[in-house]
Amino acid sequence: MSEFRPTLRPALGSKQPVASATFGLSTLPEGTIIHVLARPGEQDVAHLLASLNGSDPHALRPVSPDQWFIVRDAAMPNQEMKGLFAALEPRASGVDQSHGRVRIRIEGKMAQRALSKGTALDLDSSAFPVGQSAVTLIGHIAAHITRVSSDAFEIIVLRGFAESLWDDLTRMGLEFS
Amino acid sequence: MASLVPCPNCGRRPKEEFTIKGAALSRPGADADSENWFDYVYLRDNPRGAYEEYWHHTSGCRRWLVVMRDTLTHEVAACRDATDGSRSERRK
Repeated sequence: MSEFRPTLRPALGSKQPVASATFGLSTLPEGTIIHVLARPGEQDVAHLLASLNGSDPHALRPVSPDQWFIVRDAAMPNQEMKGLFAALEPRASGVDQSHGRVRIRIEGKMAQRALSKGTALDLDSSAFPVGQSAVTLIGHIAAHITRVSSDAFEIIVLRGFAESLWDDLTRMGLEFS
Repeated sequence: MASLVPCPNCGRRPKEEFTIKGAALSRPGADADSENWFDYVYLRDNPRGAYEEYWHHTSGCRRWLVVMRDTLTHEVAACRDATDGSRSERRK
């Protein structure tokens, strides 16, 4: 048997958060991310998900037509997740992405300006209000962006791209920090 | 190129987010003769003007779209989700 033992460590564990008056960059806990995919033709799955999710704001994030992310800061126990997946069937299916995707928070008065350097998405609050989500490119990396308050965004990115995206975001915010 | 594509699911997005498959042609029936299939697989008209293509919104909603664009001016006339067409195209 191999001597090699993989250790689970945070994808962005070695990164220093950026905090200045107008620009902040921080990692979020690697809690729970569940990708939910509705069966073709199913209506109103969003309502089902909202009822399962309680009142936590921004816990349910649209990804694309008939797809959502369920996001929590805390890790979800295995039994609870099994229960959730069972409750979704047969109208939708859940896939645990907690270790596959990483969340990054970008905030501050200049966060929108900094983020706009990397994406063609219109981030103005009239076009992209609080609670809105979108999948887009940041540089060459596909990412899921959600506006969580007027000057804070959460980015969900594939784990393997997280470090690279973090470095890009740091560079985009250099002039503000 | 048609640099801003009006995705019906995501809004206007730059072409870098998309992958182009090629002309949106109607698929011959499974029992069509080989001439029809040869035409469908290999022969393209390459028109100067209006053209319908399958585009995949790879870095967005990941849906197949049908983009109608002008090969001369690169203007996009229309863009719809590929499943909005005939039922036979719909993924089961």
